[in-house]
Amino acid sequence: MMNLYTIIGALIFLVTLAVIMMRPYSISEALASSVGAVLMLLGGYVHPGEAVSVLLHEWNVYGFFLGLMAISALADQAGIFEMLAYRAGRWARGSALRLYLAVFVVGTGITAFLSNDATALILTPVVYSLVTRLRLPVMPFMFACTFIADTASFLLPVSNPINILILNAFGGGLPTFLGYLLLPGLFCIGLNIALFVWLFRSDMKFNYSPADLPELKLPRRQFFYFTATALVLIAVAYITASAMQLPLSIVALCGSGLLMAGAIRYRCLNVGRLTGEITWSLFAFITGMFILVRAVENLGLMAAFGRLLLNLAGDSPLKTLLLTAGGAALGANLINNVPMALVMVSVLKTAGTSPVIEAMVYATILGADLGPNLTTVGSLATMLWLLILRRKGLEISTLKYFQLGVTVVPIMIVVGSLFIWLRL
Amino acid sequence: MRVICAIGQRGGAELIQRLVEMAGDKAVCLLLHVIDTGPRHGLEHYLRGPLHRRPYHGRPSHETAFRDAEAAASRAVIEEALAAAKQAGLKAEATVKEGEPGEIIVQVAREANAVLIVMWAREGAAGHPRLGPASVGHTARFVIDHAPCDVLLLREKDV
Repeated sequence: MMNLYTIIGALIFLVTLAVIMMRPYSISEALASSVGAVLMLLGGYVHPGEAVSVLLHEWNVYGFFLGLMAISALADQAGIFEMLAYRAGRWARGSALRLYLAVFVVGTGITAFLSNDATALILTPVVYSLVTRLRLPVMPFMFACTFIADTASFLLPVSNPINILILNAFGGGLPTFLGYLLLPGLFCIGLNIALFVWLFRSDMKFNYSPADLPELKLPRRQFFYFTATALVLIAVAYITASAMQLPLSIVALCGSGLLMAGAIRYRCLNVGRLTGEITWSLFAFITGMFILVRAVENLGLMAAFGRLLLNLAGDSPLKTLLLTAGGAALGANLINNVPMALVMVSVLKTAGTSPVIEAMVYATILGADLGPNLTTVGSLATMLWLLILRRKGLEISTLKYFQLGVTVVPIMIVVGSLFIWLRL
Repeated sequence: MRVICAIGQRGGAELIQRLVEMAGDKAVCLLLHVIDTGPRHGLEHYLRGPLHRRPYHGRPSHETAFRDAEAAASRAVIEEALAAAKQAGLKAEATVKEGEPGEIIVQVAREANAVLIVMWAREGAAGHPRLGPASVGHTARFVIDHAPCDVLLLREKDV
């Protein structure tokens, strides 16, 4: 029997999620989740001591977010992204189609090792400038960058901070991760590329003159080479650390330290720019979410939700996996993928351990990573397309983006879940 | 007679050849290229939004890079078109503006007292039929609805 105390707790949680989802009066997500967390603390839903221990337990997540943002920002400052785009332009030798494929390859590589946001937020503008300069249609390339940022984000644990958020709660080494998600990942990337090339086939007929490629200015050549080498080392360290189940935040933080040392050595460290490129409010947002989710967990609501999920699926593992991945994808769209991932983590933690639960963890990763492609709402990486869509003159692109999401994501979720089920 | 040739990212030279084929070389042309700021503004919003890494605040370089790319591209557009006009013996001058292409084309036509606007029915023709519904792009559609003068829409010849 739900009492008033439980109902108020649930309401605080739901209202916070609603504010994050709709952002009335431009209230930021960080503010909404912080206020929600403070209310939970004041209401005694989470003991302050418990809150501190919850947050300390998540040090790996905080460290990873920080290190990752710093690495991306420094790599950007060194000109790595410009160089990759320029190389892609050279390699394509004047063919829009070849350039398109090259952008997918670069996007996949950057997403795999520097995470989805590096592709969505740093590669996208670089590609935009290149494509504008070459007088090719920009929209297909914009779609390519933002989509591949999500589609390639379950190739490795480091490809999306959401993966770290989920794996931090359940452990699981690289072989297990790849065992569940490598085939779905390759399938989804292949499908993404094939479908986009087909959809934008008329735009792909264009040619550009390689002489139009902008001259590449590398302001500090030595820093560039240093950074390129350091990034390769970081990539190797990520894979080694995932394989040995070491905390990835240590690699991210050491990696960013190494890049920063290089920047100091070559006198290129711009502290103001670096701190400006790190979204500090993200930490307030996830802190608030950790506390909110723990509060609801304390009320026993997550366990109830978990039982509901398992009951819904009955005794069919495939159905369970489809529901999990589909639910995570929908939730990531409706609210935001961070709270969605945390809710699923909490639900699965209370559901005990079994091979099916383990597979459900990876189905959650699949859904929460891919989901943001479904519509324009809902992810750290795609939330903002909404603003583009509201502008007049881009209606065709809006519709196309929506159709793309609606057609391609369910296929990816279903086939991805099938692969995970086969692995069971 | 004063004619506005509205040229997008591509196809400027062909547009001028076609105009000369139809109207001879007596027209006085204003070659107009409008940099469509829509996608750039969309991208800027996208990069700046809630909970994003906000590379934008610390990164004036993106903005500079966008503008450099647009300037270089529009220079190339205009050079191609001017070369074609010269070859055809057409009297032409060129101007580059930025904004919503349809609105700017109409505005320039009004200011220049143009008698005719020449443009492609749809630029790029990406995934759209050459004839029939959706064969006229939204810029051309806006221009036919609002132009203060006659409008000549060119369609791609082949297919």
